[in-house]
Amino acid sequence: MEIIEEKQDTVSVFRLNGRLDSSTSQGFEEKVFGAILDGSKNMVIDFKDIDYISSAGLRVILKATKALHREKGQIMLCSMQDYVKEVFEIAGFDTFLPIVGSMDEALKSF
Amino acid sequence: MVKKCYTFELKNDLSELEQLCQNCEDIGRSINVSDKSIFEMNLALDELFTNIISYGFNDHREHIIKISITVDGDQLEMRIEDDGIPFNPLESKTPDFQCGIEECKIGGLGIHLIKKLMDDLQYQRVADKNVLVLKRKLRNAD
Repeated sequence: MEIIEEKQDTVSVFRLNGRLDSSTSQGFEEKVFGAILDGSKNMVIDFKDIDYISSAGLRVILKATKALHREKGQIMLCSMQDYVKEVFEIAGFDTFLPIVGSMDEALKSF
Repeated sequence: MVKKCYTFELKNDLSELEQLCQNCEDIGRSINVSDKSIFEMNLALDELFTNIISYGFNDHREHIIKISITVDGDQLEMRIEDDGIPFNPLESKTPDFQCGIEECKIGGLGIHLIKKLMDDLQYQRVADKNVLVLKRKLRNAD
């Protein structure tokens, strides 16, 4: 999986490409928590080019969400493909995670 | 429709997830199911495979995990077999995600997904092996 990290004003943006599973989730977790340690409070994860996610990927998102909440920050997830979104729904994560249609929408929410 | 059965083996290494994905795609195409069904077959097997290699072995040696996928009419059956320590993943607690972010526990999530994706799951310990059989009825949309 490819991870592109960038800053848009004070928001850390992660653009993911590939499959977020137990063989790739650790690298992603390190990057996300690296950004939190560096002081990032607001984060957008762009799922546009993610075509697969397993519970290992959901776990990283959940851990990051909890960490950002403690910092009074916020996470936004955007541009999910249908199958991927369905995994969030089956897990019940869509009830407490903000999932929006586009990057623009995600950035406007901060 | 004739009964079709496909069998393959994976080593106990996370890098084998790539092979699992490829095999699910190839088998899914040849049994003519939708991309969504292929995704879900892959997800269910991934969760079990990851569980097995995370908790099933403590000897740091190579092990083989055997997977077979059978389609008989509208019945899809996936069987996953390993020689790890006895472990019935179906006994793990179902996580409660209706409890707000802070209280939300992380364990058992993979099994929760499998239970939602499949119609029937059965565990057996047979001849020093863990055998899990997942069943799902294929519907028109699949």
